[in-house]
Amino acid sequence: MEIMQVAGSLVCTQRVPGLAHMNLRVLRTSKGKLSVAVDPVGAAVGNWVFTASGSAARFACGNPEVHTDLTIGGIIDFWEPDG
Amino acid sequence: MLICKVVKPLVSTNRIPDFEHKHLQVVLDGSTQKVAVDAVGCIPGDWVICVGSSAAREAAGSKSYPSDLTIVGIIDHWDPDAGKASVKSETIAVSESAANTEIAPSSQSAAPISAAQSPALGSNGGGKI
Repeated sequence: MEIMQVAGSLVCTQRVPGLAHMNLRVLRTSKGKLSVAVDPVGAAVGNWVFTASGSAARFACGNPEVHTDLTIGGIIDFWEPDG
Repeated sequence: MLICKVVKPLVSTNRIPDFEHKHLQVVLDGSTQKVAVDAVGCIPGDWVICVGSSAAREAAGSKSYPSDLTIVGIIDHWDPDAGKASVKSETIAVSESAANTEIAPSSQSAAPISAAQSPALGSNGGGKI
C-alpha cells in the first residue's frame, strides 16, 4: 500500500455502473504522479492517505463488485512527505 | 516476495473498518516507502519479508482483507550490502558444484540467508543443482 496526498475530488457523471456511486479523489504521490482513487472514508484535499491497489482495492471499498483498482484505506494522522 | 526494512508504525485512526485493528507499518523497499499490514509484530529497524497480491490478503486475515502488502516474516540476520555480495558468491558456488557434485555445501558462502532456511533457497544448500 502506498502513501499519497489528496489533490482534489473528481466529478464524473458519465461512468460505468460498476463504479456505483463512489466518491472519486485525485491523488498525488510524493513523486508527483497523479492517480484516481475511490474514497470510502471522505478524505479532504491536502490529507495524506494510504491506498490499497489491485484486487485488494475492491475489498477495501466495502463492496467487492465495485470496479476499482485503487482505494483510499485511511487518513494518516501525521505524515511528513520526506519523513 | 520483498525484503524490506521497517521504518515506523503508521497511525491512521480514520480508516475503513475492514482493516479491523491490525497494525500498519511503514516499510522501505529499496528507496520507496510503502505501507504493510503487520501480521507478525515487528519493531522499527527490523528486516522483514513482505508478500503482495492475493497472498497478502490471506496472510493478513481473510480472503477479503483489503491488504496488498503484508509482513509475513522477520529475518534473523540480514546484511543489506552483503545481500548483493552473497548473490555473486552464491552463483560461483553453484557453478562449481555443477562441475563437481561432491563439493562442500554452499552454506559456507557469505551471508547465509537464515530465515529458517526458507524452502525456496534451501534447495541449493544440498549442492544438488
